[in-house]
Amino acid sequence: MIFLAKVAEIPDGARKLIQVNGISVALFRQEGRFYALNNACPHRQGPLIRGTLEKTAEGSGCFIRCPMHGWRFDLATGDSHGRPGNATVYPLIRQNDELYIEL
Amino acid sequence: MSIRMDQIQPIIDREYDYFMSEHPHWSLTKGDQDLELVAHALRVLLHMKTTPQHLSEYLALVDCQHADGGWGKMASNKESAAWVTAFCALMLIRGNLSLKHPRIAEAVKKCTRYFLETQKEDGKWSDPSWADLDAVSHPISFFDVLLAVGKHLVDEPTLAKVRASWRKGMKFMLDRQAADGGWYDPEFHPTGVEITAHLIQDSIVADLLLGDEFNVRECCRKGVMKLLSVQAADGSWDGENVDHTMDCTRSIMLVCSVLGMRAQCDRAIERGLEWILKHKCEQGWPDFPGMETNLERTCDGLDTLLKYRAYSQPVTTAIVKLWGYAA
Repeated sequence: MIFLAKVAEIPDGARKLIQVNGISVALFRQEGRFYALNNACPHRQGPLIRGTLEKTAEGSGCFIRCPMHGWRFDLATGDSHGRPGNATVYPLIRQNDELYIEL
Repeated sequence: MSIRMDQIQPIIDREYDYFMSEHPHWSLTKGDQDLELVAHALRVLLHMKTTPQHLSEYLALVDCQHADGGWGKMASNKESAAWVTAFCALMLIRGNLSLKHPRIAEAVKKCTRYFLETQKEDGKWSDPSWADLDAVSHPISFFDVLLAVGKHLVDEPTLAKVRASWRKGMKFMLDRQAADGGWYDPEFHPTGVEITAHLIQDSIVADLLLGDEFNVRECCRKGVMKLLSVQAADGSWDGENVDHTMDCTRSIMLVCSVLGMRAQCDRAIERGLEWILKHKCEQGWPDFPGMETNLERTCDGLDTLLKYRAYSQPVTTAIVKLWGYAA
C-alpha cells in the first residue's frame, strides 16, 4: 500500500497526476468518489489526465476520453467498451484523510 | 516568412542526433518494436535523405510482414491491422524509391493485395483501434503514393484494381465531410481536428493526379479554412495537443501550397511552428506541454521542421515530395 495523496489536495471535480514507483497515476475526484488510473492510454499512450470527463448515459458514472484519439474508458472499471484494450484501474484505500494505492 | 531557416536548421541537426541516439528504442534491428513508432522513424530517415544508409531497417520491416501482406501493432503480433499496415506500406514504397531492393518491391506488392482484399463494399477499411475515417485515410495515402510514383511496381490488372479501390475509398472520405469543412467521428474525433488535417492531405492528391474529378480543391480549401478557424490564439490546436498541432501545421503547409493559399495560411503556419518550438523538451517533443519527451512526437517534430524547410523553398513540389506524391 503506497501513499498517493491527501484527500484535501483533490477537491471535487479536480484531478492530479502522481508518480508512484515509476508509474504515472491519474487521480480523479468526481462527485465525491476517487478514481485512480494508469495515465497511459492503452491505445497510443495518450495522457488520460488531459482527457475529457463525460457522464455515462444513465448518469451514474463517468468516462474519461483520451485527448489523443478519443478512446473512452469507464473511470471505475477502465472498460473501453469494445476497443481492443482497457485502461488500468488501481484500487484505492482511504484512511482518514489520506489516499493509498495498491499497485 | 518570419521564422528563418538559420534558426530551424540547427534544431533539425540537434534533434536528428538525438533521434539517432535513440536508435535502440525504435529500430527493428534491435528487437520487437511498436510498428507505428518504427514507421515514424523511417519517415525521419526518408526526409533526412539518409534512407540509403539504413537498408537494414527497411528489410527488418519486410521480415515481419505477415503472409496476408499486413502488419500488426507490434512487430511480434500475428494479426494484421489496416492502420499500421498502411503506415508500414507507405514507408516501404517511399523508401524503395531510393533503395530499389527486390524484397521491398515484393513486400509492396503483398501489401497492395492486402488492401485490395480487405476493403469493404462501401469503400472503407476497418480497424477496431481507429475510426473508420482513420482506417480509410491511411490505405488511401498508400494508394496515393502508389498511383503517383509507384505504378511500375504492380502489373496492369492490379493497377486497375488499385484505381477502382482508391476511387471508392476517396468517395467514402469525401462523402463524409461536414458542411463546415471538417470531418468528425463522435467516438474518436469529436473535435475533428486531427482527422481533418489527415484527410485534406490525403485528398489533395486527387487534384494532383486526376484534375478536379472529385472537386477536391473545394473540399480541401474548406478543410483548411476549418482548421484555421479553430487554431487557438497561442498557435496550437486541440487543447495544446502537440501531435495534432504538428498534424495541422504540416497538412496546411501541403494543401495551401497546392491550392495557392499561402497568403491566407502563412501566419497560421508560423504561429503553429512557433508554438511547437516553444514547447519542445530539451531533447525531442512531448505529447502535451510540460510532459516528458516522447520518441514518436520527436519524429513528428523533426518531420514538421523538415516540411517547413521544404515549404520555405519557392518550388511547390519541394513540399509535395515530402508526402511521397512526387518523385
